[in-house]
Amino acid sequence: MSLSLSDVEVDSPATLTEALQLLGRSKYRVIAGGTDVLIRMRTGPIPNEKLLNIYQLDELRYIRSDGERLRIGSLTCIADIAASPEIRRFALPLAQAGDEFGSMQLTNKATIGGNLANASPSGDCIPPLYSLDAVLTVASAGGKREIPVKDFFRGYKKLDMRPEELITEISFRKMAGDEYGQYLRHTLRLGEAISVVGVSMCLKKGPTRDEYVAARIALGAVAPTVMRAPKSEEIVTQGTLDEARMRDASKAVLESISPITDVRGTGEYRREMAVNLTYRGLREIQARGRGGT
Amino acid sequence: MALKEYSFTLNGKPVVVRAPPAYDLLDTLRDVLGLTGTKNGCSEGECGACTVLMNGKAVHSCLTIMEQVRGADVVTIEGLASDPESQVLLRRFAEEGAVQCGYCTPGVVMASKALLMRNPMPSAEETKEALRGNLCRCTGYSKIVKAVMKGGT
Repeated sequence: MSLSLSDVEVDSPATLTEALQLLGRSKYRVIAGGTDVLIRMRTGPIPNEKLLNIYQLDELRYIRSDGERLRIGSLTCIADIAASPEIRRFALPLAQAGDEFGSMQLTNKATIGGNLANASPSGDCIPPLYSLDAVLTVASAGGKREIPVKDFFRGYKKLDMRPEELITEISFRKMAGDEYGQYLRHTLRLGEAISVVGVSMCLKKGPTRDEYVAARIALGAVAPTVMRAPKSEEIVTQGTLDEARMRDASKAVLESISPITDVRGTGEYRREMAVNLTYRGLREIQARGRGGT
Repeated sequence: MALKEYSFTLNGKPVVVRAPPAYDLLDTLRDVLGLTGTKNGCSEGECGACTVLMNGKAVHSCLTIMEQVRGADVVTIEGLASDPESQVLLRRFAEEGAVQCGYCTPGVVMASKALLMRNPMPSAEETKEALRGNLCRCTGYSKIVKAVMKGGT
């Protein structure tokens, strides 16, 4: 049964500066789009806390090209990410995560910063950001700091972020023409669903056929946090990416993951699906790498 | 509970409403403003029955708190019913038999309206994609898709 939020206090600062000052002064739970926070507040016991509503901070809504990097304001909604030609061109896995994320009602509201701060291991934006080697900017009234996404998540729902801080920006180097990316997820139905397994990869093509010289492969929903798969990355770059190597690299993801059994699938099922999705991703990139598209 | 005052545009007219700040737009529409066309199916953004347009975009009114509505332009199913252009869409739902129990219908119509505003002649695929967040347990969806594909806004 859902709980009424009629006694919850809300502050809605007009600027980022004001938001950071408020966060420095008292304890809040931050609400951006609200698509995760409100559900959690209605279904769980409500600790006595105020909401800091930052949804109106339009200064944090942007997708900006900055030389070699793309910069995304943390309140950019998932629908805008999926619709951005620049993200599709320079960060395909993130655009694909936006396509898969959920309904238009959800993606019009849900934000990329919220998806990170909610810290679910199945958050669809997170594996693409690992494979893009993204950097997060986190701000407080005292100043800003930058954190590589892989260091931001320290354990299940544990973040390298203090209560007085907000995520303000996500940035990464644009993928070059010789880099290929893919995000794939498995869900139990096609519409609104949470990922059972998500796999994102970015591979850098070498000069000869089926040769890849760098790889970043990240998996979601198969461990307490999103995980890189270093063994698979190594195998991909050790020689010609033929059928046998794709199979070996896919199986090697098992060294990096520790999936749980829950309502969406058993650990065993997730292990199998993680291998299969990695294989499908590699196949997809191999085909595109040959065709030059 | 402390009430605050919220001004926004509702179905083309300015309104001022007093509500608790974390009250959701859905409860405010239904319980404070008496507009019961917008339905509550799940309270967690899964079913789409509570869909309204906010600043021209389809959103879940159950996941939108009043503090986020201040100054916004909100359109509900009641707003479409009084808009001659949108009546075409409503009539098509009736003509195609895209309505059975009717509980999901306001949300489905609002999501369809959001689709048709940016794409007046959607394909079946585009229609299904746009309606993926709206659950209907009666129609089997095919009549809904047919009604929406007849186009118009």
